Amino acid sequence: MKSWIKIILGLAILGIAAAFLIYHFVINKPHPDFEKIKPYYSLNAKAFYNEFKTSKENAHKLYNGKVIEITGKLARIESADTLTIAVFVFNQGMFGDEGIRCTMLKKFSAEAKKLKPDGIIRIKGYCTGFNETDVIMEHCSLIY
Amino acid sequence: MKKYWIVIIITVGFYINGYAQTYVTKNGMIRIYSEAPLEKIEAVNRQVNTALLVPTGDFVFKVLIKSFNFEKALMQEHFNENYLESDKYPEATFLGKITNIKDINFTKEGTYPATVEGKLTIHGQTHPVKQNGILEIKNGAVTAKAKFNILLSDYHISVTNTLVNNISKSIEVTVEVMMTELNK
Repeated sequence: MKSWIKIILGLAILGIAAAFLIYHFVINKPHPDFEKIKPYYSLNAKAFYNEFKTSKENAHKLYNGKVIEITGKLARIESADTLTIAVFVFNQGMFGDEGIRCTMLKKFSAEAKKLKPDGIIRIKGYCTGFNETDVIMEHCSLIY
Repeated sequence: MKKYWIVIIITVGFYINGYAQTYVTKNGMIRIYSEAPLEKIEAVNRQVNTALLVPTGDFVFKVLIKSFNFEKALMQEHFNENYLESDKYPEATFLGKITNIKDINFTKEGTYPATVEGKLTIHGQTHPVKQNGILEIKNGAVTAKAKFNILLSDYHISVTNTLVNNISKSIEVTVEVMMTELNK
């Protein structure tokens, strides 16, 4: 085969491979596996809530967008549509309970529903912030 | 004088007996949708914190931007880092009123048209909004539903020229929040 054809063919294969890699690892990259991510911080649940209650802006800078592990007394498990939510309550406000709300990964939904109120649990999740009544964590998993 | 005291007692009685009601949810849903020539983008937030006060009609909600979930991880990243800048502006808020609250009978099941007026704050920018929607009263719950469009430019959200065919300048917002009465 003539050398220029080999070069063009080689470049074409490299181009296709590069396009595939960019598509797979960049454009179509998967969501983080929150169950496997090591937490940035491990905290007492009440202390974590109090940080947001005391200074929302400082707590946002520190914890928003990060995986956090908390340990505390579970108030209850709630179901909302297809969501399973582990609820910690630390305050009573004008609009009811206030604390931390942890939406479980689907994989942990059945397990979470078996948890008893008032038990101490360890939970890890992605902190999305404080909405004036609760600290919200999503993609949560139970830790034993 | 006797009639005056009767009116006072009846009015206080209404408040003690819960004539003034608060309906709340912590898991309302907001969906955003953009349709552009090259791409359709959708995201859902199921952590909408909402309260409706009757009979004043005060209606408020707060949404955490990082709680919007996209199918594509890269789009979620761009949404948070480049467009909404959620590290700087972590939340969106609506403060307003249902202006025709008197037309809604919260004791009778049914679907009632509702007009909401107020101020929407996204990306640090506040803009007045007035929208029509419905309130569904069923099994003691109140579900507010509305669908409307917002212009990204109103909230200083800029789309680069390279992505003009991927992201629409007008985003469709669907709100569905099922609220139950507080302390019931």
